[in-house]
Amino acid sequence: MNIPFCYLTLESVKVEYTPDAEFYKIEAIVRPWRVHHVSSGLLQMGIRGVTVSDVRGFGAQGGSTERHGGSEFSEDKFIAKVKMEIVVCKDQVEAVVEKIIEEARTGEIGDGKIFLIPVSDVIRVRTGERGEKAERMSGGRADMMSLTASID
Amino acid sequence: MKSAALQSSVINDLVLLSCVGLRPVLVHGGGPEINSWLLRLGHEPQFHNGLRVTDALTMEVVEMVLVGKVNKSLVSLINSAGGTAVGLCGKDARLLTARPTPDAAALGFVGEVARVDPGILRPILADGHIPVIASVAADENGQSYNVNADTAAGEIAAAMGAEKLILLTDVAGILEDRNDPDSLVKEIDISGIRKMVMEKKVAGGMIPKVNCCVRSLAQGVRTASIIDGRVPHSLLLEILTDEGAGTMITG
Repeated sequence: MNIPFCYLTLESVKVEYTPDAEFYKIEAIVRPWRVHHVSSGLLQMGIRGVTVSDVRGFGAQGGSTERHGGSEFSEDKFIAKVKMEIVVCKDQVEAVVEKIIEEARTGEIGDGKIFLIPVSDVIRVRTGERGEKAERMSGGRADMMSLTASID
Repeated sequence: MKSAALQSSVINDLVLLSCVGLRPVLVHGGGPEINSWLLRLGHEPQFHNGLRVTDALTMEVVEMVLVGKVNKSLVSLINSAGGTAVGLCGKDARLLTARPTPDAAALGFVGEVARVDPGILRPILADGHIPVIASVAADENGQSYNVNADTAAGEIAAAMGAEKLILLTDVAGILEDRNDPDSLVKEIDISGIRKMVMEKKVAGGMIPKVNCCVRSLAQGVRTASIIDGRVPHSLLLEILTDEGAGTMITG
């Protein structure tokens, strides 16, 4: 797409989060079999660092029950889910959230929730780099975006 | 499925799939049979929003016809075709536990699936038999309920972690344009089909089937297909070819 670079910078500044931070952790609780859809979607958009863990949870939806494995689960029964944790810089947050929703949504009760948590710093273990240098991954979204911009 | 020849052809395909290593589970209803026996008893079949109004007498007839007649005749056909079938209903081994639908006042003993316990199906499948399941179930207190066969199939597929759910119908599948029979939608994902339903492109009778498919897909079944049972060997075409024989909805 032929978007001049100045418009890209303008669009990426529009969202405000409180408290404000340079990085945010996106914690998404999704259905276990959607993890693959979500992670391939994220890879496609250049997000190359994701952590997943198996969790259980319940989240009542005011009387309507969630179906899991053919059975209905009332509000106090734990159901298996997967937590995906992704730390990105502020301007990538909205795109990641949209992608997760797009890939994880089925429209049925139990699709999950996403939480945004501000992160004070990111440190790479191997090199000791901190901050933006540590968060950035080569061949990742930042590289993809600057490539599209420079083509114009 | 109304014609005997068609039934026979579908059963042969099922046995073939079982022979090559797939583990099919057959879930059936039997609307036309139930109607014919109700009429023989002088009882007029009644429907409300597409679901059978099931009073106490109708429930008895539904149970007898589905579990006793339709189920056993399918089991018999599978046996004759070379497979080995085991006939069950939702009550056996508490495979399906029902609860009344919210619309119970108008519909009577029509049940929604509250719980599925697929335990009994595993040894049957492991031994190379084909389970044939009639969609009659009981609630916690033993009261019988008439469960929609598509719904039962969808929930059993979800409980078993099935690879595919296939609904055999008597239409070609889902058409992009209702008036153009060549506009068959071959493959679509959940958001695509929800969009089609919102745009009113999906006909009334097809909506419950689509909802059943989406519900099943949301619980982890990989794909759900609505195929034309009138086409010879539609089952084989759907499973073994790329073109398929109807509409496949992916998760």
